[in-house]
Amino acid sequence: MIIVTGASRGLGKAICERLIAKGTQVLGLSRSCSPSAYPIVGCDVTSYENIKAIAADLRKKGVVVEALINAAGIASMNLAVTTPPDVARKIIETNLLGTIFSCQSFSPIMMRKKSGCIINFSTIAVALGLKGEAIYVASKAGVEGFSRAFAREMADFGIRVNCIAPGPIDTDLLKGVTKQQIHKITEQQIFQKQFEPDAICDLVEMLLDSKSQSITGQVIHVGGV
Amino acid sequence: MTIDSTELKNKVFKSIKSLLKDQSINISDDTALLGHGSLLDSMRLVELCLMLEDIASDHHFEFDWTSDVAMSRSRSMFRTAGTLSATFIEQGQKKP
Repeated sequence: MIIVTGASRGLGKAICERLIAKGTQVLGLSRSCSPSAYPIVGCDVTSYENIKAIAADLRKKGVVVEALINAAGIASMNLAVTTPPDVARKIIETNLLGTIFSCQSFSPIMMRKKSGCIINFSTIAVALGLKGEAIYVASKAGVEGFSRAFAREMADFGIRVNCIAPGPIDTDLLKGVTKQQIHKITEQQIFQKQFEPDAICDLVEMLLDSKSQSITGQVIHVGGV
Repeated sequence: MTIDSTELKNKVFKSIKSLLKDQSINISDDTALLGHGSLLDSMRLVELCLMLEDIASDHHFEFDWTSDVAMSRSRSMFRTAGTLSATFIEQGQKKP
């Protein structure tokens, strides 16, 4: 089974749909449990107790978790000085702590099997240091740092940990971002174009594949930087 | 169901021993698990936690090894085999 957080929309949903289409058993975690072709369990990734309880339940049921994909994330495009503290806290809690809590809770299930794959999500905004995204960038830079160090901690247990850093992909996360703003970002990529969610799903499939057995502790920038 | 403290302690000690390269070492209450003179490196310590989690499940309780004091040298449950087994038994006795 593959666990996907943020499974009810955006990249998380696209990834779940791709995996299901390939015949993979998926368990989606999401704050909202909208009807879908795959099982979704209600989960707030900012709640350590919530995630831990789900992990404990899976362990008790003897579920084999092959991979964990941490796609849950939020964004708020705003200058740091004009971002309210509760919004800043929410971004850090969801993007960074949510990823950490999820890894802490689900990795022991994979550690028992001495194999597994964890894919976390950063953003191209970290590499580019995008203006107006300082807090979002801070949260995702944290995810990158965590992923690199966690990859070393998990190596002895045969678990690979990598990060995908997409550019502006056409999902709900980009609501309110103009075409000009998107172009300004994509023109800084090596491939100067906006990629579709399919490109991310391709990367996820590639990282899940056993042919990626030597890839760990890496941040993969979609479109290149 | 009541918890058999001696049985749990034996299982904790047996789990520690199973992770040692030198099987001639006897585990006692004073056997250091953390810091100077410890028998286990950090990864073996995590493996031990996973084993204890399974034992706790068999005895119908949850072993919580992610507490604030887990890795504190002065207060950690992992100071010695004795402190670990005592905490493990205590958690078993507190089960709902």
